[in-house]
Amino acid sequence: MQRLRVLLIKEWRESLRNKMVLFGVVALPLVFVGIAVFMLKAGTTEPDPTAQIVLFNTSLLYFMILPAIIPLAIAVYSIVGEKEQTTLEPLLATPITDTELFLAKALASVIPAVVVNWAGFGLFLLATRIVIGGFLLQTLTAPWLVSIFGLSPLLAFFSVGVTMLVSSRASDARAAYQFSSLAILPGLVPLIIYSSMKTLVDMRLILLEGALLLVAGAVVLRFAIRLFKREQILTRWK
Amino acid sequence: MITATALTRRFGDLIAVDRLDLDVPQGEVFGFLGPNGAGKTTTIRMLAALIAPSGGSATIAGQTLGKDNREVRRRVGVLTETPGLYKRLSAWDNLMLFARLYGVDRPERNVEKYLRLFELWDRRDGLAGTFSKGMRQKLALARALLHEPDVLFLDEPTAGLDPEAAKTVRDLIESLRSDARTIFLCTHNLDEADRLCDRIALFKTRLLKVGDPQSLKEEMYGRRTVVHLAQPKPGIEQELNLPFVTKTEWVDGRLVVSLSNPDTENPILVRKLVELGADVQFVSELRVSLEDLYLDLMEGKHATT
Repeated sequence: MQRLRVLLIKEWRESLRNKMVLFGVVALPLVFVGIAVFMLKAGTTEPDPTAQIVLFNTSLLYFMILPAIIPLAIAVYSIVGEKEQTTLEPLLATPITDTELFLAKALASVIPAVVVNWAGFGLFLLATRIVIGGFLLQTLTAPWLVSIFGLSPLLAFFSVGVTMLVSSRASDARAAYQFSSLAILPGLVPLIIYSSMKTLVDMRLILLEGALLLVAGAVVLRFAIRLFKREQILTRWK
Repeated sequence: MITATALTRRFGDLIAVDRLDLDVPQGEVFGFLGPNGAGKTTTIRMLAALIAPSGGSATIAGQTLGKDNREVRRRVGVLTETPGLYKRLSAWDNLMLFARLYGVDRPERNVEKYLRLFELWDRRDGLAGTFSKGMRQKLALARALLHEPDVLFLDEPTAGLDPEAAKTVRDLIESLRSDARTIFLCTHNLDEADRLCDRIALFKTRLLKVGDPQSLKEEMYGRRTVVHLAQPKPGIEQELNLPFVTKTEWVDGRLVVSLSNPDTENPILVRKLVELGADVQFVSELRVSLEDLYLDLMEGKHATT
């Protein structure tokens, strides 16, 4: 556990000093919040308050996509960065286990993604209350809260699991990044369902997606840990 | 300290290391020489428990490879071909990270010790990315030593360094000799190997020769004395009739005599030549460089082990 913690701190220190990663992690949620609040403000001209509620609900879906996108920036940097700096071999020469290394890389991406997403969500609610008024917040139902606080860590884990799984098999981590971007698809599912069915968020759908993500995430993580072997990393990561 | 028996590594159909047998005792500086692509780095990676052998066995610092890999990694230090430092972290943070990963008891103490030893203490807060090549190499060497390993693997430690930085690194390696640490040194720099290593192995996928540099040269070329004469006297070599002379030849007007022990045989040789009427100006030993030996072995001019 101590090695895991040491490596986690190292990953975050490096990320904090990397402007590209920092920008991706901090700027993206701010842009999403800005767009969402701008759209809500524009929607205040609509006489029907239902239109504003639909806009509010659609904006909330951003916080279902963000936890899948944000960790990709960190996870890919933590792989590409190691390769670029040729730091992998000295790191793999230490007594750290493959699982510790995998978990450190994964958690270093998942934890900030979830925290930033939740912070972005809080900022969005605050901005909505200030700019539009408190009535929209009353439409924030339990399924939404479950979805944002419960599903987002699962989405982040799934996304990172896919990135690591692909990276440990691919010879090019950048190509792996592009392929890993598909991991955001589960985050888009509610968006597609709600847009096409014009329905409000439903607890059964949230729980179903949660269950599916839990299973898919567990399978992906299991495979990723199994395939994340130092020899593979050393000889295949180019 | 390092023993390997028939250690082999294949990558698909390619054999990178072929049945390598090694026995390197504690405290020895062992040079591992070979051309690019010879399998030197693969050998280090196997011995440092980074990649698994396809065949054979090895023990490093008493730990069996494949069985106690974590323990092997705990007991060896590896200086990779490139320093591999975290450029956005300071020298101090780079070393502290590895000291903690290696589970060093008092990491701050060891980090300070090696930063001071390698004269990097004043730059401890500087980012590794701002360091010169020589400083990075010293920092990487410090990292490899932090956990006081029994065995140190150095892969091309002076490659790409300017002469001054290379000398600093060589001096550091020389200073480690007194710690009774086993040093496994991969290098292209034959002069460096000649000066630093107790024994060398010449390697090209398989082991070609192993021994101390001087004995290898003597084994392959014998010891030769060059006699400078005022006037060359062709035919004089036929009249020498000395039992210890194994071979004579004229090279550039000088008589080159192969013998086994020049220290005792040279005076007899000179006396005999003077008796035969030769005007001996001076005699010297024909020195064979490690480079000659290396090139001859790589080109297959001599029988290998």
